[in-house]
Order: sequence, then C-alpha cells, then structure tokens
Amino acid sequence: MASSSTPKYNSNSLENSSSKQTLKDGTNWEQNEEIPRLPGETRVTDKDVIYMCPFNGPVKGRVYITNYRLYLRSVENDPVVILNVPLGVISRIEKMGGASSRGENSYGLDITCKDMRNLRFALKQEGHSRRDIFEVLTKYAFPQSHNLLFFAFVNEEKFSENGWMVYNPMSEYRRQGLPNERWRVTFINEHYGLCDTYPSLLVVPYNATDDDLKKVAAFRSRNRIPVLSWIHPETQAVIMRCSQPLVGMSGKRNKDDERYLDVIREANGQISKLTIYDARPNVNAVANKATGGGYEGEDAYPNAELFFLDIHNIHVMRESLKKLKDIVFPNVEESHWLSSLESTHWLEHIKLVLTGAIQVAEKVSSGRSSVLVHCSDGWDRTAQLTSLAMLMLDSYYRTIEGFEVLVQKEWISFGHKFASRIGHGDKNHADTDRSPIFLQFIDCVWQMSKQFPTAFEFNEQFLITILDHLYSCRFGTFLYNSEFLREKEKVTEKTLSLWSLINSEKSKYTNPFYSKELNRALYPVASMRHLELWVNYYIRWNPRIRQQQPNPVEQRYMELLALRDDYIRRLEELQITNNSKISNSSASSTSPSQMVSQVQTHF
Amino acid sequence: MPGHGCQGRAGCRSGGRDAGAGPGARGSFPGRSGPGAPGPPGQSPCAMSGAPGGRRPTFPGLPGERVLEEAAGARQRCGNGGGSIPGTLLCTDRRLAFLPGQALGSRGLLHSQDEVALPCIHKLVAASSFSKPKVLTAASTLKFIPEELAVFCRDFRLLRFYFPENGLAPQAFRVANAIAQAREAAAWLGDAAEGHDGWASPGETTPEEDEDEDEEEGSSTVLLFESLRDWEKELQRLGAAGWRVSAVNERFDMAPSLPQYLWVPSGLLDHDLKRTFAHFQERRVPRLCWRHPGGGDLLRAASFHPASEPGSEDVRCLEALLLGDRGPCVLADTAELPTLADIQLAHLRLRALCLPGAVAEEKWLSALEGTRWLDHVRSCLRKAVEVASLLAGKRCSVVLQEPSDRDLNCLLASLVQLLGDPHARSLPGFQSLVQREWVAAGHPFPRRLGLLCRDSPREEAPVFLLFLDCTWQLLWQFPADFGFTEAFLLALHDSSFSPYFSTFRFSCQRQRGQRSSTPRLPSQTYRPMGGWQDPGGHRGGPHPCTFPPVWAWGRRYTRQQREQFRNPAGPPGPAESLTPGTPADPCPRGGARLVLTLAKGSLCPHALPWWSRPPPRPPVRVSPPPDSQGTQGGLLGTRQPPPGLLLPCTAGPCVRLWHRCYLRGLPQEQRGRLAPSLAGLAEELQLLQDRLRAWNLRRPH
Repeated sequence: MASSSTPKYNSNSLENSSSKQTLKDGTNWEQNEEIPRLPGETRVTDKDVIYMCPFNGPVKGRVYITNYRLYLRSVENDPVVILNVPLGVISRIEKMGGASSRGENSYGLDITCKDMRNLRFALKQEGHSRRDIFEVLTKYAFPQSHNLLFFAFVNEEKFSENGWMVYNPMSEYRRQGLPNERWRVTFINEHYGLCDTYPSLLVVPYNATDDDLKKVAAFRSRNRIPVLSWIHPETQAVIMRCSQPLVGMSGKRNKDDERYLDVIREANGQISKLTIYDARPNVNAVANKATGGGYEGEDAYPNAELFFLDIHNIHVMRESLKKLKDIVFPNVEESHWLSSLESTHWLEHIKLVLTGAIQVAEKVSSGRSSVLVHCSDGWDRTAQLTSLAMLMLDSYYRTIEGFEVLVQKEWISFGHKFASRIGHGDKNHADTDRSPIFLQFIDCVWQMSKQFPTAFEFNEQFLITILDHLYSCRFGTFLYNSEFLREKEKVTEKTLSLWSLINSEKSKYTNPFYSKELNRALYPVASMRHLELWVNYYIRWNPRIRQQQPNPVEQRYMELLALRDDYIRRLEELQITNNSKISNSSASSTSPSQMVSQVQTHF
Repeated sequence: MPGHGCQGRAGCRSGGRDAGAGPGARGSFPGRSGPGAPGPPGQSPCAMSGAPGGRRPTFPGLPGERVLEEAAGARQRCGNGGGSIPGTLLCTDRRLAFLPGQALGSRGLLHSQDEVALPCIHKLVAASSFSKPKVLTAASTLKFIPEELAVFCRDFRLLRFYFPENGLAPQAFRVANAIAQAREAAAWLGDAAEGHDGWASPGETTPEEDEDEDEEEGSSTVLLFESLRDWEKELQRLGAAGWRVSAVNERFDMAPSLPQYLWVPSGLLDHDLKRTFAHFQERRVPRLCWRHPGGGDLLRAASFHPASEPGSEDVRCLEALLLGDRGPCVLADTAELPTLADIQLAHLRLRALCLPGAVAEEKWLSALEGTRWLDHVRSCLRKAVEVASLLAGKRCSVVLQEPSDRDLNCLLASLVQLLGDPHARSLPGFQSLVQREWVAAGHPFPRRLGLLCRDSPREEAPVFLLFLDCTWQLLWQFPADFGFTEAFLLALHDSSFSPYFSTFRFSCQRQRGQRSSTPRLPSQTYRPMGGWQDPGGHRGGPHPCTFPPVWAWGRRYTRQQREQFRNPAGPPGPAESLTPGTPADPCPRGGARLVLTLAKGSLCPHALPWWSRPPPRPPVRVSPPPDSQGTQGGLLGTRQPPPGLLLPCTAGPCVRLWHRCYLRGLPQEQRGRLAPSLAGLAEELQLLQDRLRAWNLRRPH
C-alpha cells in the first residue's frame, strides 16, 4: 500500500530536504516574513544572486543575511531550493573572479564552511555588486574579529527546559558515589588559581593535601594535575586525567608528583602497578622533552606501567579531515571510493582513538587497575579517551542527559579549547590551532551507536545537532576555551545552552531502539572491517547519497514497542486478577517481564 | 511428552544407535534405505532434547546417510566472546555435523548453523599445541593428535571445534581424518550424476508436523513454475494482455534448457513459434518475464544464432515474437556487466580477503576495492536501474539478451522485477521470482556454484550469490519495502551450497524432472533428432528420491529462525499487484519496427541481424545525454519515478560490503550486548500474544 503509492528514491533530485530543516532547527517562522527568524535575529541585507549548486547547476535566488544566518531561496525552481546556513559555520569567504573576468557566473563569492561543504554565489558584474554582501558577511560571520558579540549573546529564544541546569559537578560526583573515604572534593581551584584551564571543583585522593596538589601542579604542563574523572562502582579503580610531566631534556624528577601517583595507586587498595596511558605515539612523547615536556620514566615511577596509544596530534587530524572533505564534496567517486577513503586515514585515526579508549576501559573494568591518561596538555586526546572510556563503562552516559553531562564535564569544564579548535567567529581560517578533535569524538560515539543500536538513548540526529551547534554560535555551550573564561564572559547568564533546545524536544532525539538495560560495559569492535564512514554526516549535502528519510523502520519499531508495552501491561493485570485463583500453573510462575527477558536471549 | 516413544525410532535410521551409545559404538548404518523406509527421523518436537544426563541426542540422519566417525565430548567454539558448547562431532558421508549436548533443535532437525555439507567445506585445518597447523586433504592426512579443528566453509562460515578432555585423542584423530577423506569422496558428480543417489533429502518421507504450518506460510504460496497452472496464474497477476502461455516446450524438445511453458504473444501460434527456436543460441527464444503495469514488457532471450539465416517466413515469426506491435523494442545486452570469469575471480578474492588476518588493517579498504566484487554489484544494480526506468517511463519493451541467456539474464531479469514490482519484494513473491527466473529458466546452479566434482570443467561463477548481494544492497537501502529480511537472504545464501534441495542441484527443469519424481511430467521421453540425450535412463530403474525445494524452510530452520525471515517493518498487508499507471511517455515514435540498443545509459537505433538495409532511421541519440542528474533521470524521462519503483543509489559509499554474510568467519571482539532486531521484537510480540490468549482461556468464567 504505502510502498506502491509513494515514490522511492535514494537519489533525490533536489536539495528539497533543506526546506524541512528550517522547521527542524526550531525556528519560528512567522507569517508575512520572507525568511525564518529567531527571536533576536535581525535582517541585515539581501540580494539577488545565483547559487552555484554543485549538484543541480546554477540556481537563481535571493540571499538574505541576518546577524545569525545566510538564507537563500530560489525564485524559479520547483520545488523551491533553500539554503539555510548559520554564519558560524563559515570558515572563509573569498571573492572569485574580478570585475573584468569573463565567463558566465565567474564573478562572485566562494564560501568555505566548517561542516563539509562549500557555497558559491555568482553576482552581477556591474557596480561592485558583491562588495556590500562580502563586507556584511565577513562582519557577521567573524564577530570576534570585528568587536561584535556572538549571536548567542543576542539570542532571545525561550525554551521550556534550562540546559544550564543539566550539569552540576557536585551531583555528578555524588552520582558516582563521591566523595568517599578515599577520594575528596577540593575547592583549591575555586578561583582558578591552581589551574586556569581546569574546572573549579576537582576530585583528588583523600590522602593528598592541597599543598601537595600545588607542588604537583608545578611539575605538570599548564598545572593540569592528575584528577579523577570516573570511579568504577565495583572495583573502585579510577580514571584519572592530567597533562604531561615536565621532564624536559635533562630528565627532571619531582618527588611530589611521584608520591602523588603512588597515592592514587593506593587509593583503591591496589597492589599492582598504576597504568599510565600516554595517548601520543612514542616518538612524539620523546620529542616533547625538547620543549620541556615528556613522559613518566621507569626510574622515577617504578610503580607505574606506561603505554603509548599512538594517536596523532591535532595537525594530523586536521589534514586528514581536509582530505576527507576533498573526496566527499562536491563529488563522490564511484569506482575508487574505498581506496580514496583509505588514503584520507580518517577511519584509521578513529580506530586508534577507539582502540585506546577500549584499553583504558578494559584496564579499569576487567583489569581492576586505576589508570592515568594524558597526552601533551591533556585537553584533546585525553578528553577523547576518558570520555569514550566512560561511555563504554557507564550506561548513564548513554542517555541523552548523561551524554550532555559527559560532554559538559570531560570536554567543556576540563578545558577542551573549543574556541581555538573551532575558531568561533574568528576570520583566521588558517589558524593551526584549529582541529576537528571534538568531531572525531562524536564520530567515535556514532561508530559505537552503530555497533550497539540499542544501547544509546539518543539517535543520530542528536549527534548531528550537537555538531551543527558546535559551529553555529547560537548557544553559549561551546564558546570559549575554559570554564574560567566562560565565567568571565558570564556565558550562563547571557546565553542559552544547546541542551535547552534538545531537552525541550527530547522525543526528536530519542532512539526508538533504545532498551534500558543493566549497567554493562560495551566494547565496540575497533577494526577497519567494522568501522564505517558516517555518510549521513559527512556526505549529507549530496542529495544523491542521502539515505531514505524518514526511516519507516524506526516508526514501525516504535509501534511495535508500544504494542509490546500494552501486552505486558495487560498480562500483568491479568496476572494480578488471576493469581489468587490459579494455582499450580506453570505459566503463573513466570512473570511477563521474566518471560520477555527469556525471549530476548534468543537474539 | 507426546511422541517421545515414537521418536526413539529415529534410531532405525542411525543403525540402531540409541542415545546412550558410547563413543566406541561407531556408526554402521544399514547401507541405504529407500524413501519408503519407515521411522521418520525426528518426528517429535522433542527428538533432540530428550536425552537426559548429558547422553547425546539422537542424530537425525538423512535417509541413507552413514555416520563414518564421531567424537563425543568435542566442543564447538561460539562466535562471540569465546564461549563453547559441548557436544558430539560427527562425520557422515554427506556432511559434518555437530550435535550439541544440550540440544537446541526443537524437532529432530539439525540447526543449520551446526552442520556443513561436505562439498561446502573449503578448507580443513587441524592444530595442536605441539605442531604447526596443518591443512588436511585426502592425500595428506593427519600425523598428530588434533586439539582443534577449523572448518572454513565456502559460504564464508568458519566453524571451530576443539577436543578438550583427555582420552578423546583417538576419536579426534579419527574424525579429523574421516572428514578429510569423506570430503574428497563426496565431490559431487553433479548434473549427469548417474547412480549417485546418495544425496537424499532430509526427512523426505516424513511429513513433519510443522510442515503444514510451513506450507501455509511459504511453500504453498510459492509458485514453482513446474505446472501450467502456475504460469497461468502469474500471467494473470501481471495482467499482461496480449500474452499467452505456450506449452510448445512441454516435452523439452524445442529447447531442452527452457521450462516447459513459455509466455509468448497471443497472436503467435505455436506452429509459428516453432520456427523461431533455431535462430537463437541453445534455442532459447525471447519470451516474456514481466510487464510493468503502466509501461512496457520485459523479455529475455539468448543471442541470435550466428549461423541462422531466417527465410522470409521465419523473419515474420521472429519479428512477431520480438517486436509484435508493442512499439519500439530495446535490446539490452550484458556487455557492461561482469563476465563469468570476473565474477568468479572477484568472489575468490573476496573469500580470501574475509579470512582472519588476510590483510593488514590499514589496507583493508583498498584490498576490498581490489576484489572488484563491489564494482560488479554496482554495475548490475546500475544496469537494472536503467532497464527498470525504461520500462516504467517509456512505452517500449526491453529484451535482455545474453549469449546463453542462462546467467546474467537471470540476474538482471530478477533485479529489474525487484526494482519495479512490489510483489517481488514480498517473501513468497521473491521465492517465486527466483523459481521462475533462475530455477525454471535453467541457470546451471551446480556448475556455477562449483558443486561438481573436481575434474569437470571449471565453470564456476557464483552469479546467484552476486544476485543475493545485489538484493541485500536493495534491502539495505530500502528497508521498509521488503517483506523479507537479511536473515532470509543469508539462509538462502547458505542453502545454495547445501545438497538437500532440488533447487540448486540441477541445471534446468528437464533434469530436475528426471531426477525427482514429479508426477506431472510425461512419462515417456522424447528424443529429437541429433538433439539431447536422455542421460538418466532411470525411468525403469529404482524410483529416484524426491528433493524438496529450498523453500521448504521447515526442514532446516526452526520456527524461531523462520520468524526472522519476515520483515515486520515490510510493506503492511499482502503485497498487491501494481495498479496500472497512466500510460507514460511513449518512446520516440518510429513505427513498429524501431529497434534500439541500450548502451552506457542511452539508446541507439540498431538493426536486427536479418535486416539487409541499414536501420530505418538515421542514428540519433534518443535519450537525453547523461546530465548531472545521472542516467536514470534521462532514461526515465521524468524526475519523479513512478510509484513502487525503487531507484537505488550506486555511488561509492552506497554500495556496501555485506558484513553479516562475508565477515562471519572473523572473530568478533564486540562484547556487551546483543542487538535485538525488528524481527526479534515481532516474535516476542507473537509470544506475548500467545501468552495473553492462554491467560484469557484459563480465566475462570
């Protein structure tokens, strides 16, 4: 019925789904308005242009620029072609062609975006027609370079949920059962005096005094001392994070640091060695000695075992993603796709990050040993490893709110340099500080969700939405490099949280396949044979590659789940009413829920 | 336990070995038992679960099957996480089987995952901690006591057994050698397998209790296309006015490899039809496969015979058959598709690549590309999309023309129907499709799947497996449009190596009819002049065994497994036939005699071989040049595909490796939880419903 009445393609002919996105992103589209507008969003300019669509050729349309977005609507096409691009995703704006250049549509603007696409607009050649629009775009896309506020600070949206309330460090540590007799909460960093890239609240061994911490800070890069990220509820083994020790060329040692690591090891009554995972390749760790860094040597730390995880640095990751973009936008190769994909090494890097996180998780869980994770500064690879390991070990982080807490804690509060890595509002597109570390983390999460389709409460759309607003600057969530700076800018008072948007409409981001289960560790297969490219994110702009949407399987699944709940409820009712009357019945000894779990073991 | 006493009789098959037979009591079956022998194996649902106290359950042997060796106390390693199941490893003259100590099977039926037909064994490796792993063949047998046995299967499975306990050594040694020997001996004689009746069907004479249910579920709704009725029924469903069923080949004398019944134009008399056979290779004339309700007819045929010089009367008949008055006719050849050698090579490479440790991690993607398997899948899909678009969009007929009409034509004809006909995407519809376009159409399964004995010409090319892969790609891209699941495709994939079914054992209907006793067939044989010979000569001899079609899933798959064949998210309700659409754009007019070829996504005028004059029109490109839309849009004429038509994407990232099939042999380190499937949920619902019903019945009134 449905199948014979609706056309099926996997090769949409037009980018018509972007018109749906205007509804999807939660914007109010008031009547009598030409374009959708958020509260607080103001129109700046508009102009007739030709959108050089890489898939369907030139599209005549009108482009509207606001302080938040670039919006294009075609004038002749049917269905209408819509582009809806938050200015935050723009990485670079270039003029193409000159006033005298020949050729049709050779004069205009070329816009490079951070979300795996480029946009090209052609304008009329007469009268410097592009000058205005270039200037307006540059100004609003790069507010930081023009002494303007991020849109997040003028955004006047209202949500039913307040996302800033999602993460409270104290209640998160309480959830983990902390503080306890071996671990204490310290306020030594309350005013960011110990470490300005760390959160104000830290969990450290009970047996380490604040004085000890200060001494250790002197020996750790940027004072990022080892602190607790997560504690295993049964083994009491912990995941600690920090930066590299300042060993240097001369091989300096620090008694306080050495003792501190021993205190950590002893905190869960562990006799075996403390495991240290250095995320870097061995050679990089050695090379870091030249700049005063290094790693924990065997002589200085006889009670620790050190492993290198071979994950490359931010520059390698940036180049890898650049290569990936080359093969997915605008055209996707047909016959040599796999070898092209291989040559980007993107999946290989994903694999190494996942492999590292699996090792960390296994050590803590099966190995019952506390681990210390660091890279150079402890805010890129370290964040990837600790947060992924926590995701594998703790099912709470696999819920929508739990994942928000995880991001808020391991990434935002522990000073992943979002501003530098993304370059929010900054025109310097070639800044070597930029790197897709957080994207890589989200990709790893997606890989896990693919391998364990029922283990995560959130769906793919949730992850894509996070990435979209990583760039959009509509929310304060990812702005600035540290908690210290965010407090200075009063981000929580003056901006909205991304989690407000998401938590106000949770059903949109909920995975219908999610089955809440006992807390169990998940270890994905980190093999090239089982990792895949996240097509729905990296190649989503290509209308020919798109997956069928919406997925009717999910809908059907939801219906079946509802039906199951109904049956179980009715069975339970029957059981209650009949239990007293029926005896000696084999069926009555099995409760419906028990039966369900038995049934599930078949699969 | 009803039937428990009866099921003990299963022992009569197994040479009187009961469940308590010790390891020393090696099987010596009564050599052969005819199909009429009493005592069906495993009639009871408890056949295998009744053995208490670790005694091994009765082996549900096939009629005539002999157990050569067995090793009790062996353990089978499970795929995930390294658990293992204790049980008995058996080697019979047909297969290697594992009987779990705590039987899982519900009705004397061997779980499909616990057995391998001997011809399906690709490689047998024995290992011990004292010796290097050794590949076992009949010529090179074992010199050490094996601790572990790895069985690499041609269907990409990898079974691993180990012998943990002391005292097992002699058994382990014997069973390993027996498998190596038996494998050699069991090489199939294949097509002309005279006197090789050993491969009987499991439970052939045993209408099992679930069989009725199975009938109701699948078999009875599957059209086997062995009877006139089936052909007429299907033609009616297609609503193909202007076509009729011809019984001209009823005795296989017109074309031995074609089915008995052919769909031909109503206006063409059998008398005239007979004139056309000689002009096609293997006498395989054009005939209807399918009709798109709003569009054109799909025909398939072999190449024109190179030596044929039709006279004027023959030309009239040929053109009536090929062109009719149906408007332009498009010839689609297989030039852009992989050759049989390409397919075979790619499949061998793929199989080698999917072994553990075959390639370094970082080279996996390029190595996978290097097999070219996915390229071949892609070109088949692309061609099918072109043909399906033509049929749906323009009023013309398409004739699939392959030199032999027995390999890629099967693939293409069925793929086109999967794209265009929702009925073909239902479970019974798909089974009927395979039955018509592959089984009845004479795809030489034994040769192509390499089930023949080793010295026969190597004509192996798993065209059918390539088709299953293409189908899986469609299933993956359009999950809600199919009535069946990946589990079903896997079962079909694995069954193609299994010797128990008529479906894959023969190369055409004629052979199938001879080797299995189908009462519908005429009893006399006809010998055309200089034509084929009747190779069997069994008519008067012992009554041959009947092989069930593969669609009798109940014989190898439990109810639970079969439940998973059905896609609960598939099209709701029974698949209906296509509603006739509005007549689409006509193909460029050019009179009835316009013949075009489809090449590289566009159409070009073409002359039939007997036309002396050049094509009636100057060569013009008929379809718009392939634009940025891709060829589909061009051929389709319109942007919107008609309802019910699937147009899969064939770009690099969209054609994927069938992980669940090809990577089954790899050790999986994934741990944590099983992923319940939609099908699983559906079954759970079924059980809940049953439970509810039971509750309601017991409810005191």
